[in-house]
Amino acid sequence: MTATPSEWRRRTRAFARNRAALGGLVLAVVMTALAIGAPALSRWDPVEQSARARLAPPDETHLLGRDGFGRDVLARLLHAGRISLLVGVLAMAVGGVLGSLLGLVAGYAGRRVEQAIMRTVDVLMAFPSLLLGLTVLAVLGPGLGKMILAIGLVLAPAFARVVHGAVLALARREFVEAARALGGSQGRVLGRHILPNVLGEVVVLASLLTASAIRVEANLSFIGLGVSPPTPTWGNMIRDGTPHLLNAPWLSVFPGLAILMTVLAFNLLGDGLRDVLDPTQGE
Amino acid sequence: MLRYVASRILLAVPVFLGVATIVFLVVRVIPGDPAVAALGDYASKEAVEALRQRMGLDEPLLVQYTRFLAGLARGDLGRSMITGASVREQIAHALPYTLELTLGAVLVGALLGIPVGVYTAIRRNRLADYLGRVFSLAGLSVPAFYLGILLTLLVALRLGWLPAVGGGDAADAGDRLRHLVLPALTLGLVMTASVARLTRSAMLGVLRQDYVRTARAKGLAEGAVRLRHALGSALIPIVSITGLWAVSLIGDSVTVEVVFARPGLGKMMVGAILQRDYTALQSVMVVYTAFVVGINLVTDLAYAWVDPRVSRG
Amino acid sequence: MRRPIALVVMLLPATALALGPLAGPRAAGAAGILKLAQLSSDLQTLDPHFAATTPDRSVVDMVFNGLIRYKPGDGSVFEPDLATALPTARVADGKQVWTFQLRKGVMCHGSEGVPTYPLTSEDVVYSLQKASDKNRSAYAADYTGMTVDAPDAATVRVTLDHPLSSGLFYPKVANYSGGLIVCKKPAEKLGADGLKTHPAGTGPFMFKSYTPQERVVLVANPAYFRGKPQLDGVEIRYMPDLNSRELGLRNGQLDVINGTPDKAWVDGLKGVANVKVDVFGVGEVATLFFRTTTPPLDKPEVRKALAHALDRQEFLALIGQGIAEPVYSPVPAKFLPGGLGEKEVQARGLDYPHDLVRAKKLLADAGLPQGFSLEVVTSELPGYRVLYESLQAQLAKVGVKVAVKVVDHATMHSLIRKDANPLVIYIAWRPNADVYLTQFFHSDSIVVSGKKPNVNFAHYDRIDGLVERARAETDQAKQVQAWKDAQLKILEDMVAYPIQYQNQVYARSAAVDYGHELVSVLALYPGITEKTRLNR
Repeated sequence: MTATPSEWRRRTRAFARNRAALGGLVLAVVMTALAIGAPALSRWDPVEQSARARLAPPDETHLLGRDGFGRDVLARLLHAGRISLLVGVLAMAVGGVLGSLLGLVAGYAGRRVEQAIMRTVDVLMAFPSLLLGLTVLAVLGPGLGKMILAIGLVLAPAFARVVHGAVLALARREFVEAARALGGSQGRVLGRHILPNVLGEVVVLASLLTASAIRVEANLSFIGLGVSPPTPTWGNMIRDGTPHLLNAPWLSVFPGLAILMTVLAFNLLGDGLRDVLDPTQGE
Repeated sequence: MLRYVASRILLAVPVFLGVATIVFLVVRVIPGDPAVAALGDYASKEAVEALRQRMGLDEPLLVQYTRFLAGLARGDLGRSMITGASVREQIAHALPYTLELTLGAVLVGALLGIPVGVYTAIRRNRLADYLGRVFSLAGLSVPAFYLGILLTLLVALRLGWLPAVGGGDAADAGDRLRHLVLPALTLGLVMTASVARLTRSAMLGVLRQDYVRTARAKGLAEGAVRLRHALGSALIPIVSITGLWAVSLIGDSVTVEVVFARPGLGKMMVGAILQRDYTALQSVMVVYTAFVVGINLVTDLAYAWVDPRVSRG
Repeated sequence: MRRPIALVVMLLPATALALGPLAGPRAAGAAGILKLAQLSSDLQTLDPHFAATTPDRSVVDMVFNGLIRYKPGDGSVFEPDLATALPTARVADGKQVWTFQLRKGVMCHGSEGVPTYPLTSEDVVYSLQKASDKNRSAYAADYTGMTVDAPDAATVRVTLDHPLSSGLFYPKVANYSGGLIVCKKPAEKLGADGLKTHPAGTGPFMFKSYTPQERVVLVANPAYFRGKPQLDGVEIRYMPDLNSRELGLRNGQLDVINGTPDKAWVDGLKGVANVKVDVFGVGEVATLFFRTTTPPLDKPEVRKALAHALDRQEFLALIGQGIAEPVYSPVPAKFLPGGLGEKEVQARGLDYPHDLVRAKKLLADAGLPQGFSLEVVTSELPGYRVLYESLQAQLAKVGVKVAVKVVDHATMHSLIRKDANPLVIYIAWRPNADVYLTQFFHSDSIVVSGKKPNVNFAHYDRIDGLVERARAETDQAKQVQAWKDAQLKILEDMVAYPIQYQNQVYARSAAVDYGHELVSVLALYPGITEKTRLNR
């Protein structure tokens, strides 16, 4: 059912009361703001090296110390945030668009096409996302765009399934048939009746999968795939910090905390949204 | 029931073959020449060409594919392009380490997660519940390798209790177990989070059911009602979800194996990717596929056995 | 309730299966086995005539001998090995002849299907012929113009078409690369593929087993001609992760580990009880090569500009004093005759001191005031990565943008030999100036298009005459001068910028006694011989 304005007000109030969800939203906003404001917030250039000062511990001028090349860790952390968030959101968008299209096609197409698409989706979903991402990236090679594409491909099946399910469930509903009988085109039916109902689930999925994308990116960077030097990402900062783990553990600890907080934020947000938009699930 | 089992098994085979074919194709698109990688930096052009011929890299794709399928049917997973050693032997050696890690993590996850989930379901909407939920989400949000690094720093280094390196002496079960603790704990803690969440929602769903109300009405003690009826029914979705999580664990197990330098499939796969060892890479992916398909199959069957409605439906 | 119990029952056999004893044989007497962890995910080959990586070289060093050998721990001294004495040259029929008398009582290791048997000249001839065959050796180019024959079972005669000084000849028959002697019978039985993973030689340790991606196990050779080894065996473990190696050493699971060229790391181990760090040569020289056929690197002013933009001290600071030292010529003066020292180079104004102003001016003069862009690949090995990333940052200061792509070590080697990089940083050790200059600067060695393609990444062809003259020169002093002249020309044309040499860094348990002082080892590891012991 499409929500009325009072429904929306109720939902917003329910969301505000859900402390965890609110916390997630606040945290997500904070992390995003830090990422966007990175150039303004950091005094130091994230890629400028100074070998003589390498591995300097935190002090007043370099709040989080310096890395193995003498680069300011805080500046790199903030800039890495931009990359990680960019990858997370864009990969989710790519996956979302691709997956939703697939789901729509599957929902409206004939049995054969639908089976082919959905069986593939099933197989892909059964596969661990990291292994999938690893294989795709190994084929594509390094680069920011390729990383986004690889993770987007990994996330697409989840969207496909949700959209396909929604199309199946809703396309058969009486009110849709009634709308069609009244002369509405497929497009309008899609736009006014199906999409708004799917929107809720898709938004929840978007938040949760952004979290997933950021986590997968961290794993792939840690293994050594992904962007090229000197671009920092939280995952490759952890990796670059591991040779110095016993002498300068902060090099790996802080980026890890950043990943944890950001992923947690989007997970809390997604969870909260799900509670509000579909209260029958979980609670 | 038997028909259901048979149909699931039959379905698994084409899925497995399909993915294996995709793996075969994908692996051949990876850039880099394995023959040069094998011979090292000094070799002459002639030597490299000779090795390419021996590796069968110069043959048409279709021939290579037929060889691949025939090999799979025989259980022959080929020879490493770098060392020439049998890939099946390598995998046979690595697989137990990955299996122990996955099983250990599942055990940790279940043993810790289910009680936490039950507790937070009972104490719904109170402080413990909120804390539990945030902790669960944190567990889902932390990258497994990072947790591994933190545990390494804490336990192996400061306290020196447990080894932080490798898989342990192959023949010494006790040593293997000691080397398993930290990695299984790392991976398991990540799983605990989701098991706790799912147990909680399953329990909540069940606690509302009519028959539970009936049992309460009959006057059974609250505790007995909870444990005997609620948990029993909640186990149905938990079983199916455990399968899903075992599969997702496989992904994280790759980075955990790298962090703890365990000689398992994950480390082998990363090594194969970095060294352009096509044969080893495709065989490891095929094994992972079999693993995933197998787990899904077992989960489906377990679910059907536990909930007879499924096989009839 | 049945169901949880059923679950547990399902899990139990699987768990038992996973934990059950599987995999390879275990060497007995674990106390006397030295565990060495190397940086590598696996071996590449244990065929000594192909082995090139550090871990592979360390294994073949323990399993094989040469006619002569580098003194353990001091690579500047030659000693007899399978031969009874260092040979001197004779001239016969206009050719140079070196004659070796073989020791008695040297036994070839037994291997699959071939029992142990005494080494004779037949094996030596077989091995040297294999080393000079381009289909069976990667080092064949070193053995052109050489024939080997055996007048009797204990004598080997090497005849050279063109005479060489002993300084140039000895490395070819020493216990390194092509000079390592492979026993004929096992080699023929095993074939090329078998030799890769089943080396059979005459050395203090014999191959026992190989577990892919994990370890190679060697056992002591009780019949070794220098005496039974003090160790029961050696395990070489493949551990690409530095932290794993370090934690393994600290916890006592490992005895010797390959460290990392990083002073911060070495300092971090100083306070640890029972752990000692050894830093020793040979220093592998890191040189930056400019591909002179690619604009704008074809202009000497541009190359000189880049040289002035670089700062040897910055590169040094990344590794640390003592672990690395700056070098001023492609041949390292510290280790080899023919190298040029700092003063010699400064006197001629060829040291290219760090000078950003001068660099920018030179670029502007060349018509490139805004700089330009380049793309390179680097190995993920720390020694390479650190240098390439520093290069990237340093050149950015004069507007030269270098995009760096990280690939695995083997792939980098493969790609640069296909001429993929306009700038190549290469870290290498070569046994003498002739090999350095020939392989990196002679026109025959130009990558891809040379007559005998090797590692001349610069596509340089201006010192062919000097190198060939030096090679044929039998007067030591004149030979050294010719090498120096060649390098002065290289520096004048600035086709290569010598950066630094990096020492070997190994850490060990205090219980390990190598049995020799560590000055320099060509096989790039501390050297494990029959005298090495574990004092536990």
